[in-house]
Amino acid sequence: MKYQLIASLLIASAAMTALPAAAEVVVVVNPKNSATKLTSDQVAQYFLGKSTTLTPVDQSESSAIRTEFYKKVADKDPGQVKSIWSKLVFTGKGTLPKELGSDADVKKAIAADVNGIGYIEKSAVDSSVKVVTELP
Amino acid sequence: MALVKTTRVVFWISKREINDCQLRIRNMININKQGKGYHMKLKPIVVLLALSFAATSAFAEDTNNGGPTLTVSGFGTAALTTTNNDQAQFARPNQPSGVGTNVGAGVDSDFGVQLTGKINPWLSLVAQGLVNKDASDSYGGELTWAFAKFKINDDWNIRVGRMELPVYMISDYQNVGYANTMIRPPVEMYTQVTVQNIDGADAIYQHSFGDTTFTAQFGVGSSNSQNSGGFDIKFRDLTALNLVLENGPFTVRFGRVDTKFTVDTLASLNAEVTALNSLGFTQQANELNINSVHGSFTSLGASMDWKDIVAQAEYGKRKTDVLTVPDTTSWYTMVGYRIGKFLPYYNHAAARQDSATTVSGIPNIPQLAPLIAGADAFASAAPKQSTNSIGVRWDFYKSVDFKFQIDRVSPDSGGGTFVHAQPGFTGPVTVYAAGIDFVF
Repeated sequence: MKYQLIASLLIASAAMTALPAAAEVVVVVNPKNSATKLTSDQVAQYFLGKSTTLTPVDQSESSAIRTEFYKKVADKDPGQVKSIWSKLVFTGKGTLPKELGSDADVKKAIAADVNGIGYIEKSAVDSSVKVVTELP
Repeated sequence: MALVKTTRVVFWISKREINDCQLRIRNMININKQGKGYHMKLKPIVVLLALSFAATSAFAEDTNNGGPTLTVSGFGTAALTTTNNDQAQFARPNQPSGVGTNVGAGVDSDFGVQLTGKINPWLSLVAQGLVNKDASDSYGGELTWAFAKFKINDDWNIRVGRMELPVYMISDYQNVGYANTMIRPPVEMYTQVTVQNIDGADAIYQHSFGDTTFTAQFGVGSSNSQNSGGFDIKFRDLTALNLVLENGPFTVRFGRVDTKFTVDTLASLNAEVTALNSLGFTQQANELNINSVHGSFTSLGASMDWKDIVAQAEYGKRKTDVLTVPDTTSWYTMVGYRIGKFLPYYNHAAARQDSATTVSGIPNIPQLAPLIAGADAFASAAPKQSTNSIGVRWDFYKSVDFKFQIDRVSPDSGGGTFVHAQPGFTGPVTVYAAGIDFVF
């Protein structure tokens, strides 16, 4: 009886963790950007406010892709990311990345800003942006 | 008497909305000046809230790309604190009173609102108002920061106005509970230098070398700080150097602050100095008199957030040319381990005095006994204390966390950082605190 319960819990949790893993996330920049490949650590520097050379754009706080992106690029959950940013925001040293509602909006913003950097699902990639990092 | 730090606003921007906000902050402070009763305490918070909503609505439509933008953000902590000892009160640095066995919100609660105006790609304006209990017994509002930031290029920024003084590793965000693991900065160390602002200018250089980011900050200016003892400290020729190396989850930091400072409104000190001088003890008087004397604070810090291990440590030395503000050494080490949304932690903090606790050279005769006692009291004023703390941070909801912390505080002779200590008070004292931090 006890084992059955544990087994069903395991199956349930496996099913839950399997859900968001369906999407593959890629990091994209403006096609005019000279960068061809960025490491996860480099990408994390922009999205955690350590470097301002590129301007990050975020996805909405409740989106699954955002949770997945920060987990893969920096091994942080959204709460930890917010805590890191609050160290910068309340000194005027950094401003939170702009939040956009969809992959299409991110692509539009990146295409319009030569210094932009964002993340979208791999399936949404087109010629308006350039992939610099794949996060399988 | 409520806290009123000078609010000379160094902004020159003409935006009506910002002027309006300044006016509201002034009004808030004026309200607070008159506030005596309990019911007045909440007023500054209400006004700050109103201020933030006003600003939001005023700029709600102003989110187009390229044009000026105004962002409103804020932070706060609502916490309750109590101890198991009524012989003395536990307080944060520069709070004139704290809590005993009663439960109080004043020690660990605060609320701040920040306006960030991005005028164009190279100019932004930042103003932050904070309400907490500092230097006075009632909640007071102050304009913590108001500066203009000029971006010279990707590496260099110049800031002019009122900025944070980077005394400690977490000076930038010591009032933002959500940005910190512990419920409060360790009192042993953060009581050494209580001034938080500098009026002046600084230059910040930030550059990434591969995966490592180097930040150097150098500021010059002056500051006036109201002390909980009912006097002011004037800091002149204030310089601050702050060097930070960050590599992924690891941070190392060095800080150095130098100043010439003056305290000339502390009646008991003035009386002691006058008496010593009139009896010919000029050297002893000079050892106590705080008139444009040099003081410095040098500190090293390190922190890490590696996998599930969180750690943070600082070590600092205060040195001055007077015995009244003793030379001290202070440090703390915190380690925590993240388990999902929970982060349990342990911290050890301590402070000791390095300079002499007595003033030598006054003949030990009965007629001079009060004078000697007075001089020695000034020379031994630094809190000597150690604390062991355990606590947990629980990130239970987005942008909100809950914290619970228990401190076992062991003051040496003199009551340590405790205030209103009664004769015969000894530790250790157990302090309990629970609270919620939020950002928006």
